[in-house]
Amino acid sequence: MSRVDPTLLHELKEYGAVGIEKCFNCGNCTAICPLASDEYPFPRSVIRRAQIGDKERMKSQLDPWLCYYCGDCSATCPKGAEPGETMMASRRWLTGQYDWTGLARKFYTSLAWELGSIILVGLLVVWIIAMFHGPLVTERVELNTFAPLHIVHLADWVMAGALVFFIATNVLRMYWLTMRRDGQKIPFKFYVTEAWQLVLHALTQKRWATCAADEKDEKTRNAKRTARTIHLLLVSGYGLMLVLIIFFLSWFQTDNIYPLWHPQRWLGYYATVVLLLGAGWALWGRVKKEVEMHRFSHPSDWIFPILLLVVTLTGILQHAFRYWDMPLATYYTYVVHLAFTAPMLILEVPFGKWAHLYYRPLAVYFQAVKEKAKAEQQVPEGALAAAD
Amino acid sequence: MNNLKVDALVIGGGIAGMQAALDLGDQGFQVALVEREPSIGGKMITLSKVFPTLDCCSCITTPKMSAVAHHPNITLFTYCEVQSIQESGAGYGVAVLQKPRYVDVNKCTGCRQCEYECPITVPSTFDRGLGAYRAIRVPFSTAVPQKAVLDIDNCLLCGKCEKICPVEAVDFNQQPETFSIEATAILLATGFELTQLGAKKEYGGGKLPNVIDPLMMERFLAPTGPYGRVLRPGDGMEPTTIAYVQCAGSRDQTQGIEYCSRVCCMYAIKQAMLISGALPMAEITIYYMDIRTFGKGYEQFYQNAKAMGVEFVRGKVASIREDEKHNPIVKVELTEEGRIIERTHDMVILSLGMIPTASPSTFGLLPSSDGFISLPAINASPSATQRPGIFVTGAAGGPMDIVDSIVTAGAAASEASAYIRNKTGIGVAQREVAYA
Repeated sequence: MSRVDPTLLHELKEYGAVGIEKCFNCGNCTAICPLASDEYPFPRSVIRRAQIGDKERMKSQLDPWLCYYCGDCSATCPKGAEPGETMMASRRWLTGQYDWTGLARKFYTSLAWELGSIILVGLLVVWIIAMFHGPLVTERVELNTFAPLHIVHLADWVMAGALVFFIATNVLRMYWLTMRRDGQKIPFKFYVTEAWQLVLHALTQKRWATCAADEKDEKTRNAKRTARTIHLLLVSGYGLMLVLIIFFLSWFQTDNIYPLWHPQRWLGYYATVVLLLGAGWALWGRVKKEVEMHRFSHPSDWIFPILLLVVTLTGILQHAFRYWDMPLATYYTYVVHLAFTAPMLILEVPFGKWAHLYYRPLAVYFQAVKEKAKAEQQVPEGALAAAD
Repeated sequence: MNNLKVDALVIGGGIAGMQAALDLGDQGFQVALVEREPSIGGKMITLSKVFPTLDCCSCITTPKMSAVAHHPNITLFTYCEVQSIQESGAGYGVAVLQKPRYVDVNKCTGCRQCEYECPITVPSTFDRGLGAYRAIRVPFSTAVPQKAVLDIDNCLLCGKCEKICPVEAVDFNQQPETFSIEATAILLATGFELTQLGAKKEYGGGKLPNVIDPLMMERFLAPTGPYGRVLRPGDGMEPTTIAYVQCAGSRDQTQGIEYCSRVCCMYAIKQAMLISGALPMAEITIYYMDIRTFGKGYEQFYQNAKAMGVEFVRGKVASIREDEKHNPIVKVELTEEGRIIERTHDMVILSLGMIPTASPSTFGLLPSSDGFISLPAINASPSATQRPGIFVTGAAGGPMDIVDSIVTAGAAASEASAYIRNKTGIGVAQREVAYA
């Protein structure tokens, strides 16, 4: 039993939905969508739930996460109801629903909250370093004297612990809302047997390839493929950098200069290049507004790539200053770098746009689990007759 | 050519223009009717049956065409185009271009000898390209006037028609001529065109051979049609499953046409009924967003079609592709069930939208937001435009069906009549002072 919540539509608009009230449910979007299915007939399923104010089902649905925003629906919508952007807004809204702290909801609906928090965390980092940093050696670059490795590493681990905690609890809520609320009995074994799907889709975003497969228009097809390729690269660079700074911080928090063949150099350069490419592509696309997925930009769509870009650029600068042997410049850039990295990781990963990185493959995984469970529950044809 | 002075000039010889001309002529006004095609009759003469009565279209149109041609108060100018409208004296001076027919209409008897002799075959625009006619021809069997016209662009200049013509009417030396008509009032009946078949690229119109426009289907169904039966154009096969895709041109922001064309629901239903008669075994599906059957007797017509077994599926078709046999495959969400289906049909008709034929600016008028001529007082004076003395009838003022076209023809004639009487003083009764 679910209640009609007439505020749902307005709520979604706060999360960036535009034109959703124009929709008269003709079904064009769902029929043009390369990924929609009978079980998940989105975008219209999502629009419909929003229009009738079915908040319960809106929360328990997986549909928005199964969409990669190829934009065919918005491009062909006869009413200009921008179904693709409704899907995007629903993902933001769901991120807010999964998050038990309420911070995601605040960040998505209030620019002041989001910017304020980023600045606050940034300033906190600056303050902590100002209070506890070691001596500034000016004869040569001695980063480890300025910011001793073991302290930074400890801070790193504390941050990683906090991230794991928030992500895990939010994922648990996602699981609770999507897998436990709709009454379907799901045997535990399928969570184990289908776990490979989670890994596969997180690493390859395989379903995204379907969006471009049937596209006849060459330009649109190339744009769709580019979007996926850049996302794949971006994830690889992002993941790599996360692993490097959490497990191999000593490589980076160092005063040594490594030879070029050392993984510290080429892995670091690879990650830097793809991060620059990804953030630059997203920002440039949002300025140009040429492809559907970049036509509308919620503040959160700007803030994340901007943070990423600044973090990457300050990382490069710091690296350069160290190689050019400019001690003070290195230390200051390092402080700025951390002042942007910390809020990006602490705020964007569990409470912001970054969260789709784990919610989307989780949704694909949950969908697979549900399908397995459903297939098992269906009585095979002839079984009833045999029982007689 | 002589310059002519008339009470009213009607521009456009379709059903609305003919009706307006007849209504004014019957009241004793001198009327000129200018038509750009070689024959009057407009779109209606190409249609099969009219809704909601299923009366024969030719049976209604042909007598009106003849009546216009033979009316003592109506002067008919075919194959003419209006070039400019200037205010002059009490009315308007209209410059008209007479396009060369290369046939002397005063001599031509419509015997068609030239047509039989002509070696050139070209796709017939009257049959929407489904049939063929000769480079010189009487435009169609019931054309008014029954005079030949030579399509000089496709002509070889072989001279066979000139030699065979018993009255020496063929004249290769005809030149375009301009003449002017002085009119107190002007009635615009310039009508509509369909949106382009290929405009919505997801539907493959113009690329997939068995995806056709509704006026082609009218020709299949009309008794005077090219094959006398329904055959799909791709391979001449008799179709057994036929689909209509509604709102394939209008009510679609991506096409820049957000208005409803108001006739497509009814013509699709009508054609479905006629196909049921022509091909009793055929399965007919109409994919729609909303069925709009608002006129008198229309809803009953729709219910009858349902009862006859025409299938109505609610869902906007998203895309059409084809299989290796050129059978169109329609992809649609069944919105009442939330299921997505792909269904193969033998033939698909795109219910294209209506757009104005002539730009309102041609007549010094502003378009309304839909591109049709703006009607500033649609509730009080439904035919009046922004310019005094210029009235609108039929689809020139917005999408409408035949029933409404005839109604607006009467309305425009009535408004024009009052205007002409006021302007010229003809027939205005002397007012008596009641309480002298």
